[in-house]
Amino acid sequence: MKKRGVGIGCMWYGIGNTGLPNPASAFVEWLDDGSVNLMVGCADIGQGSDTVLAQIVAEELGVSFDQIVVTSADTMITPEGGATSASRQTYISGNAARLAAAEAKKVALAEAVEKLSVPAEQLSFADGYVYVSGCKSDLALKDLIACCRAKGKLTLGHGWFNPDTTGLDPETGYGSPFGTYAFATQIVEVEVDTATGKIEVLKVVAAHDVGRAVNPDMVVGQIEGGTVMGLGYATLEELEINQGKIKNPNLDTYLLATSLDVPEIVSVIVEDQEPTGPFGAKGVGEPALIPTAAAIANAVYDAIGVRIYSLPITPEKVLAALDEKYEQ
Amino acid sequence: MSNTGMGASVARKDAVKKVTGQALFAADIVRPGMLHAKVLRSTVPHAILKALDISEAAAYPGVVKVLTAADIPGPSGDGTLVKGEICSDRDACFPAVRPCGVGIILKDEPVLVHDKIRRIGDAIALVAAETEQAAEAAIKLIKVSFQELPAVFDPIEAMKPDAPQVHPNNILTVRKIRKGDVEAAFANADVILENRYRTQSVEHAYIEPEAGVAEYDGSMLTLWVSTQNVHFDRKEVARTMNMDVNKVRIIQAVTGGGFGGKLDISVQCHLALLAYHTRRPVKLVYSREESMVASAKRHPYIIDYKTAATKDGKWTALKATIIADTGAYASYGPGVITRAAVHATGPYEVPNVWIDAYAVYTNNPMAGAMRGFGVPQVAFAHESQLDLLAEKLGLSPLAVRLKNVLVPGGITATGQVLKHSVGIKETLLQAAQTAQKQGPNFPKWEVE
Repeated sequence: MKKRGVGIGCMWYGIGNTGLPNPASAFVEWLDDGSVNLMVGCADIGQGSDTVLAQIVAEELGVSFDQIVVTSADTMITPEGGATSASRQTYISGNAARLAAAEAKKVALAEAVEKLSVPAEQLSFADGYVYVSGCKSDLALKDLIACCRAKGKLTLGHGWFNPDTTGLDPETGYGSPFGTYAFATQIVEVEVDTATGKIEVLKVVAAHDVGRAVNPDMVVGQIEGGTVMGLGYATLEELEINQGKIKNPNLDTYLLATSLDVPEIVSVIVEDQEPTGPFGAKGVGEPALIPTAAAIANAVYDAIGVRIYSLPITPEKVLAALDEKYEQ
Repeated sequence: MSNTGMGASVARKDAVKKVTGQALFAADIVRPGMLHAKVLRSTVPHAILKALDISEAAAYPGVVKVLTAADIPGPSGDGTLVKGEICSDRDACFPAVRPCGVGIILKDEPVLVHDKIRRIGDAIALVAAETEQAAEAAIKLIKVSFQELPAVFDPIEAMKPDAPQVHPNNILTVRKIRKGDVEAAFANADVILENRYRTQSVEHAYIEPEAGVAEYDGSMLTLWVSTQNVHFDRKEVARTMNMDVNKVRIIQAVTGGGFGGKLDISVQCHLALLAYHTRRPVKLVYSREESMVASAKRHPYIIDYKTAATKDGKWTALKATIIADTGAYASYGPGVITRAAVHATGPYEVPNVWIDAYAVYTNNPMAGAMRGFGVPQVAFAHESQLDLLAEKLGLSPLAVRLKNVLVPGGITATGQVLKHSVGIKETLLQAAQTAQKQGPNFPKWEVE
């Protein structure tokens, strides 16, 4: 018989390394024609940090994303960015990139004050132009930068950011190990076949508090990818290790979730802005995966009334638990 | 101009090059006169390495160089661990030891084994040859003499004083959290739930296995590598080679996923040694099987949770013992177990918390960083405990969570006051509202 159930999983996740200094840095060079070079140590491993960091710089400078070229993770060119881990690069390298852009912007802003005879507080940069009290002026940013350069003022910036943390007391663990935390709730619907023990994940609603989404499509991509990885962790994946030897050391015998296993995933982006993040952003890379297995375990219980206390929740474990339940 | 800054779903910077196949991964890189490398790895989990005979391998046609631990430049040391605590100034805590060990927290994984094998997959020797086939054939001609040692594969066994010693102390890290008075809370509890949870070892399974290319021009050593942290790689390579840090250049090749598994040193130091000794460019690309055998895994956990609650469903105490099997080397183990302890309550305010979290060495494959970094394991435990509590009290899963979630001003298990951006309640409410629109199977939980 096929039985359906629903389960909730929640999580929190501190952004950055736990109670350790973990700075990142960036260089910004704003060129005569208005284009920008951004140099960051942060390694883009496919998660999209080059894109996100360029968007943060685009926002800070008021230039277009297409005008920004990102060079990342080359130790002769880029300053240190720390590891692409701990869901930290949007928050930490993001702040560094924003600060680097702000330093370059400061030079341009001073020049705009002089050119327009308007106090700096009334000026902002957006859409490639200088705005005065929120109204677009005739002064294009590229002309402003060219002006700076003509006077020998280079629009360069560097920035680095280290989250405000304290170490943990070795006896009590007391301390403030993270600058900010991400949060999430996932609600999962499963169908369990009581004859075979097979679990099918039908639907996942995933609500993630990311502070602020720099690029909503990419946040959804992280949520979807993480959820599928979590589904594999919950129901399929296990390295069989016997006497230190991996018995399934290849992808023909190690079971990963494939496209056929992917449920419908409804992503909900919650934006509870983080004041210390770049424009309010936190992170989402790891949080996407963390609550999925917990939610699936709870959904399986809801469906068939047996609780599995070990991962992965395989058909064998489901059948054994059902047998035990019926014997009682 | 349309907005392309914050909140804009612009197309990714790397999209076109990846879709059109122009992106160069490390395995795609070809340098003039480039050699191909292979690594000889141990097939036993625990042994004393007695001798290596590389003569036949070195004489094999096409082989240019065979290297062992003796070829690592610089003074020698024994790789002994410094006391198993995380140190904020890592370089001061763990001065260079030789023959070189690598690792983000402890330098306990030998670049090449010189005395003791601690797991299946330990690197023992390197071959660089004109072709990949010649390198592969030569690796099989290296004769390894070793004396097997009793091994330990269960972390609870490994913690016992008479267990086989993987390292001088098998208990790598103990992370403690103490908040309030758990025993008093249990004495006054309406509901106590106690359960053991177990989680498994899993593989990252990034699409691209580890790969890199290195070359040495007599002063600069340059590497293109699939990695999550070029600046860490630079320091590890420089220390291994006994070179100034600025004489090593690490360029991240386009990287096909990492999920934490490319935070450890893989090909970097081996490539550096081969390029240095041959003065030719060298490439090393793992097969899928080598990747799965040699790379770090997600830590398997044994988690004992005892939770106390009031009859209204408010959690009053958590007592937890968490044991993580970190395998043969530390990798990120101390960090993973620390993060697990800090996050063990879940996103809930629990006034009384007692946690002992251990990372333990065994002769299993090394466990390290993997997306979630120790937290998916404890999430499985705290979310199961909450559902068990809800059922016992006749509360909905949503209601029991809403009673316990952290809110602005809330205090975590480590005493951190959360001032802002505490969105857990909002994610619960929005997830529940969205779920209820998904069809009749989703319960209409009442939101108080």
